[in-house]
Amino acid sequence: MRLSFDDSTEAFRQEFVAWLEANAPSASATTERPRSTAHLPEWAREWQRTLFDAGWLVPGNPPEFGGRNAGLLEQFVHREELSRREVTPSFNPQGLGIIAPSLLSFGTDEQKQRWAAPLLRGDLTAALGMSEPGAGSDLAGLRTRAVLDGDRFIVNGQKVWTSGAHDADFILAFVRTDPDAPKHKGISALVVPTDLPGLTRRPFGSIVAQDDLDFNEVFFDDVAVPAENLLGDLHQGWSVATGSLGHERAMLWLDYSEMLDRFSANFGRTMRERDLDDDPLVADWYGGIAIDAQALKLLGYRTLAKTQRGMSATEQSILKLFGSEAVQRANREAVEALGPAALDHSVPTGTASHLQLDAHSEGWFNRYLRSFSGTIAGGTSEIQRNIVAERVLGLPRS
Amino acid sequence: MDFELDDDQRELQAAAADILTKECPPAYLRGVVEGDHEAEDLWTTLCGLDWPGLAIPEEDGGLGTTAVESAIVVEELGYVGDPTPFLATTTQFAPLVRRCATAAQRKRLLGAVVAGGSGTVAIADHTGAWDPGAPPIGATRSGDGWTLSGSASFVVDGDRAEEIAVVARADTGPEVFIVPAAEVTTERATSFDPALHVATVTFDGVTVDDDHRLGGDDVAAGVAAALDEATIGLATHMAGSCRRGLDMALEYVREREQFGVPIGSFQAVKHKAVDMYVAVERAGALALFAALTVAEDDDRRSVAASMAKAAAGDAQRIVVEHAIQLFGGIGFTWENDLHLYLRRAKAGELLFGGAAEHRARVARAVQASGGLEHWNDERGAASA
Repeated sequence: MRLSFDDSTEAFRQEFVAWLEANAPSASATTERPRSTAHLPEWAREWQRTLFDAGWLVPGNPPEFGGRNAGLLEQFVHREELSRREVTPSFNPQGLGIIAPSLLSFGTDEQKQRWAAPLLRGDLTAALGMSEPGAGSDLAGLRTRAVLDGDRFIVNGQKVWTSGAHDADFILAFVRTDPDAPKHKGISALVVPTDLPGLTRRPFGSIVAQDDLDFNEVFFDDVAVPAENLLGDLHQGWSVATGSLGHERAMLWLDYSEMLDRFSANFGRTMRERDLDDDPLVADWYGGIAIDAQALKLLGYRTLAKTQRGMSATEQSILKLFGSEAVQRANREAVEALGPAALDHSVPTGTASHLQLDAHSEGWFNRYLRSFSGTIAGGTSEIQRNIVAERVLGLPRS
Repeated sequence: MDFELDDDQRELQAAAADILTKECPPAYLRGVVEGDHEAEDLWTTLCGLDWPGLAIPEEDGGLGTTAVESAIVVEELGYVGDPTPFLATTTQFAPLVRRCATAAQRKRLLGAVVAGGSGTVAIADHTGAWDPGAPPIGATRSGDGWTLSGSASFVVDGDRAEEIAVVARADTGPEVFIVPAAEVTTERATSFDPALHVATVTFDGVTVDDDHRLGGDDVAAGVAAALDEATIGLATHMAGSCRRGLDMALEYVREREQFGVPIGSFQAVKHKAVDMYVAVERAGALALFAALTVAEDDDRRSVAASMAKAAAGDAQRIVVEHAIQLFGGIGFTWENDLHLYLRRAKAGELLFGGAAEHRARVARAVQASGGLEHWNDERGAASA
């Protein structure tokens, strides 16, 4: 089911689909797989550049930043077609989805040319330096220090969970520039090239596998960052941070929706192969997941329709919470429904798409484990519930 | 399909909410529940607003708006725990007539609804199963007419509706007969929701002439579609009752203080509130989708009905449990109004198939289509 749009939006969709079919790389061209979320094999770099040059990378952007000044609905159908075809435009997703829009929103013209354009073209990749050992859900409690010293900031401290940092060319790092101000008011955003002296990156394995290396600890030891790399105003980094995550959230639900759609097809087939069709418990939760998936789409579409009409869309606030938890339930149930067969986690859970970062070749247990990135990263489900309770339901702050 | 209401629909929603706040406040509903009065005056008011005629075609005397307008009103009526025969009349009786009757029959029977008449559908057996292929009432030819025998259970408003549409087994397949209430024996069943009438309707060799048999072209398909509409109507009504439970709980936890602060400031309370909100939004979205499948004659209607009913069932579980819990001791009293609405939400779960039954239907259909996306793409209407 898709929303149907006016003729010009549908024509836009058709134009993009035709372009995709003519230009997307073939499976044989993509055998070298990206090893992290900031590593672009040559083919992935070329793919991103091709999209950029054609104005199909971020259609809402102006042409010099990989777009064609497309409207909201056009941006939506573009994302919808990518998502349902399992095509990833950039294998540096945080660069495309969070860091580039932050640079475009808050950067000077010079910064946009120096950092955003090459990032979007795939010439550079980036990582997002937000979380710290002592600043997770309480992001504003971050303590990495940056002291302005003439024309440079001297940065000391540590980031963690910095996805892709070991392969990234730069990190958009949030640092404390005024330790005496209230915590939200003493933060600044800096573009930190990863080749600066004093910067150390140490990748560590995720819960999925010892060699599943995407997360990094990043240590800053008297790293001298040019003052011109300050993004936004000094001490105004909190608005950059919240703006950054906002970019990511607007259409994030579509990814969960597609995950649930694929789950519905893949596990439906597994049920048949393993004679689980008639198991009433399995059918019960399979039906429940389909209902979750449909509800997520409807709420997402309604959000889009309201946004398009200039109305506020409170449903938006629950899409990440609901979508990530539905995906988690789905994969949890899949593992348990299969019984001992699920122990062999090398059995693929779906057909792999060569233009997708998501590891379809994994077993259900790994997919279940990965689902926790949805309920933890970008604001845990608990924090999401607090936010919804306070901002949407009008409950008092604690 | 557009999943957001248009301006006229929003206006209807606001007007309905406003009117029902005045016409069916908690004290009025309580009066019905406690047996102080019936709800005839409210029914007269609803008919005066022409709400029963919303989804009845203009050629049959109705307003000819879509199933969405009707759903808006049904949801708002669920919100106030409507004690009238509105639900059975507009979401059970009228759709069955609309889909199974001849043009002349429609004009007469639906015209009566527009004029303030009430009706219901008898189909469930004593276990509550509502299988149109095996209804508990049998129909045999007798002379030029028909003789109906058997007993239908859990007939919503069976004790007070003026016309009963009964789905009966005939040699030739399912048939639908319209039987005036005076011809049958009814016995109102006890129910934990006293504002929702449920009755056993017995047809003790009732003889009706052939004109009382709905003579449309494809009665079997009409019955199936009408049952989908009935299911959607009940799910929509439940979504409204659940929303009431949520709103009451929110209002309470904002005000109620313990340890010197509103209890709504505690995370344990907030998280329960949000879980209710998510469940209510999920149910509301699927109810609207289901109404849209009726309005747009979309092939997904039957499964959409099951999705909506299952989601309403999920929502009532969470809302009934969390709302009472958040109210604490005061929610455990008869004087508190919360239970008036939660009764309706829970009662709805027990009629026209519960959440588990509907999830199983959804599972079968979606799996048979090769997953949800295929189901949507294959069966969904191509355009708005």
